[in-house]
Amino acid sequence: MSDLDKWVAQLRACRPIPEADVRELCHKARELLIEEGNVVTVNAPVTICGDIHGQFHDLMELFRVGGDVPDTNYLFMGDFVDRGFYSLESFLLLLCLKVRYPDRMTLIRGNHESRQITTVYGFYDECLRKYGSANVWRYCCDVFDYLALGAIVLGASNTLSPASESSAAQEYADMNLEVEVCNADGVSTFQFPRQSRSLTSSSDPQPRGSPNGSSSTAGHSSPATGNKTGPPGSGASGSSGGSVGNPAGAVLCVHGGLSPLIQTVDAIRLLDRKQEVPHEGAMCDLLWSDPDDIDGWGLSPRGAGFLFGADIVKEFNYKNDLSLIARAHQLVMEGFKEMFDASIVTVWSAPNYCYRCGNVAALLELSEDESGLGVFARSNGDVSRSDGGQEKGRPNGFDTLEGPARRYRVFQAAPQDSRGMPAKKPVADYFL
Amino acid sequence: MDSPAPQARGFPRLELWDPSVPQEFMQPKKEINDGSDLTRFFTTNAYRDIGIFLMQLNRSLCPRKRPDDTVQTFELSRKREDSQSVLSLQALLGRVEALIDDAPPDPGPRRFGNIAFRKWHELLGQQVAVLLTEFLSREIMMFGQDMGECFVKEDTEEAGKHGVVGPFAELESYFIGSFGSAQRLDYGTGHELSFLAFLGCLWKLGFFKDDTRTREGETERSIVLGVFEPYFKVVRRLILTYTLEPAGTHGVWGLDDHFFMPYIFGSAQLTRPITEEEPMPLEGSVPGAPKPADVTKAATVELYREENMYFAAIGFINDVKKGPFWEHSPILFDISGIKDGWGKINKGMLKMFDAEVLGKFPVVQHFRFGKLFSWDVDPNAPAVQHTVHTVQQPVAPKSSAVPGVGTAAPWAKHQAAPPMSGAAALRAQPAPPNPLYSEASIPASTGEIPGPLPRGIPGTASAQHSITKAPWAA
Repeated sequence: MSDLDKWVAQLRACRPIPEADVRELCHKARELLIEEGNVVTVNAPVTICGDIHGQFHDLMELFRVGGDVPDTNYLFMGDFVDRGFYSLESFLLLLCLKVRYPDRMTLIRGNHESRQITTVYGFYDECLRKYGSANVWRYCCDVFDYLALGAIVLGASNTLSPASESSAAQEYADMNLEVEVCNADGVSTFQFPRQSRSLTSSSDPQPRGSPNGSSSTAGHSSPATGNKTGPPGSGASGSSGGSVGNPAGAVLCVHGGLSPLIQTVDAIRLLDRKQEVPHEGAMCDLLWSDPDDIDGWGLSPRGAGFLFGADIVKEFNYKNDLSLIARAHQLVMEGFKEMFDASIVTVWSAPNYCYRCGNVAALLELSEDESGLGVFARSNGDVSRSDGGQEKGRPNGFDTLEGPARRYRVFQAAPQDSRGMPAKKPVADYFL
Repeated sequence: MDSPAPQARGFPRLELWDPSVPQEFMQPKKEINDGSDLTRFFTTNAYRDIGIFLMQLNRSLCPRKRPDDTVQTFELSRKREDSQSVLSLQALLGRVEALIDDAPPDPGPRRFGNIAFRKWHELLGQQVAVLLTEFLSREIMMFGQDMGECFVKEDTEEAGKHGVVGPFAELESYFIGSFGSAQRLDYGTGHELSFLAFLGCLWKLGFFKDDTRTREGETERSIVLGVFEPYFKVVRRLILTYTLEPAGTHGVWGLDDHFFMPYIFGSAQLTRPITEEEPMPLEGSVPGAPKPADVTKAATVELYREENMYFAAIGFINDVKKGPFWEHSPILFDISGIKDGWGKINKGMLKMFDAEVLGKFPVVQHFRFGKLFSWDVDPNAPAVQHTVHTVQQPVAPKSSAVPGVGTAAPWAKHQAAPPMSGAAALRAQPAPPNPLYSEASIPASTGEIPGPLPRGIPGTASAQHSITKAPWAA
């Protein structure tokens, strides 16, 4: 068994590896990450995950629900650490899997993957407590600086493959689903077929911004043709479709959102990312911003990044030939939330956040397009390079590209029965 | 104790102001704008007075050995003869709580904190003048003023013209500051501290003088058990109703998501009994006290939460959190392993409060200073050593922030960052938030980490080194 496999096994058992091994692991990871661009290209199928925040047992539940590595190709959108009890074990396991299966694991940076944030929100305290020194925290922070800032998913299909092996592929293809929500056991709880554009008007208001609270209890649903309401809270509109069967546009994955300083995906590629997350500027915004029901840009309550509205997302997606932005960064009680006519989705993967929020978690699966057209026919954000990315025949409003078919798997916090009570650790100096 | 007690035998009490002397008051102001202001804070009258008042209240809860060798303990449920002043404050808190009915939680889409809390806070702001006028005596509202001129909120402009500000301005500021942030939809130890200051103001103004009982500590006990605990109950209800976020959090590595003082007062209730002449015990428990380890047993916590403030706080955690206690509250879990009794825990809580609440820029930056809790330097304050802790605080907040929830950038102006860190943080202070973000702000790669803070709450060993002359040294 190689060192790497040994570490994976030990971390899967939720036991930290020795400091010297952490150092070596981080060194290997850095060598790997340094070769990645700021925006990693990932081919579908891929399973996209949001914040983890040190909830190790829930991460194990995520792997149970989404499939194990390397069988499933994963993309984690940052915020591995802080707040939870097991930031260390969670991050190191993901990092180990990244080093062991580099093509099956993509990690991008969240705003918590930062020296400054981790000293305030818990990861620093955790490392000190578990190792007695800050060395491991330091090694991890050095890795943070090399994490990619985003990813582009190519080759996502606009039809879904079956949610479980028991269903026939053809049956699924015939249903032509745009969105499916499954519970942790793989049982489909909501299905929404893609509508043909001719049947609907793209100007219809969508239930954007509403919580998708009933999605897990909606049961099997087959909306009649022309029903434009997607899963509650999803932006699934049926109005975004082109002709069925064409490849879906590319999906941009980023932890927070957009930046007023970034007009193209290429502009992200040009950033110098190998540094601590700055307090302002494009890199900061990508990790800190939030979509909001406003027009244009707004001040963020977080004190970093910006708020951005539907118009910003639609224009960005249009300019960059994106069909969807997937991001994390905000607690969503229902695990995921599509906004702005399904042009952007928040995915949240930490169930019962901080042991108290009572939310469910979700992951987003994008299937592989098997038409053979996908990867070549669609842009990866390089659109309009020849004309500087500026001019392009622009219709009134921005027609959104037909989005890829999306399957959300919703899951709850891991059961606690398997967790024994540990020995009490020595208390802090205050109590000596 | 090796330090000369400043007031031999007499344990310090917050000084009462003389009502016959004309007094000036002011609209309390934010004074702590960057990390270096913390250094001054530790030398101010306000810091001294916060300490004196907290120690005074803490001591009153410690079980007493009576001359006939009986031991008297002070449970929450024990019948008290609360004075009119304490009863008034209970009624005031009742009215504040009732505002919840006028601001029902918003059923609409939300992330976590409920925006109806803004409505609640608005109602509080609208009614605070009427409420305080109704429940505080005229003597308090007009303390130190020319008779006939009583400036409350409506009169602020008028008062401004005269250049006169009454005590209301200061009382209102601390009172309003006690119930969380409408902007951020959160609550934390900074708000708790504001309520302590509110009660401290009332103490100084002689509001509690109506208590004619003569036994040592009786008035203070009524304040804690009869006002503070009802206050905590109101706040807990606010937290539950509006799902208020912790005002900044170290996640599981903080003592508690929202509170600190219940752990101080609650541990004091269970310490070894003392006579009226003895200082606070540094270890030991009162006979019959639950064991520190009992906080991990949910059933035992239920048994004691109506009696003891520490257990009431743990009970609330158990109410709102799901998961193994040792995992969601590892600091409290570790403290439950202490073998030297509740006295030891009480001493540690005071030290921890000093370092993790009063010593943390993100918390005390929101504290306002007026005349009653004043930014003036206490001439008797010891020199404060520059510690890494103080010098590495943010230099100046740069960004502004607007209402909202979620992880805030620690450099965000209005965002309270975590008040309490994991206990390990005192042993080794990391470079705290520094807006310059320079490499220099990162701990040196040698692994050399600064030692414990030299400051400390008096009455504890570490405190004796640095503030032997602190007026609140017991």
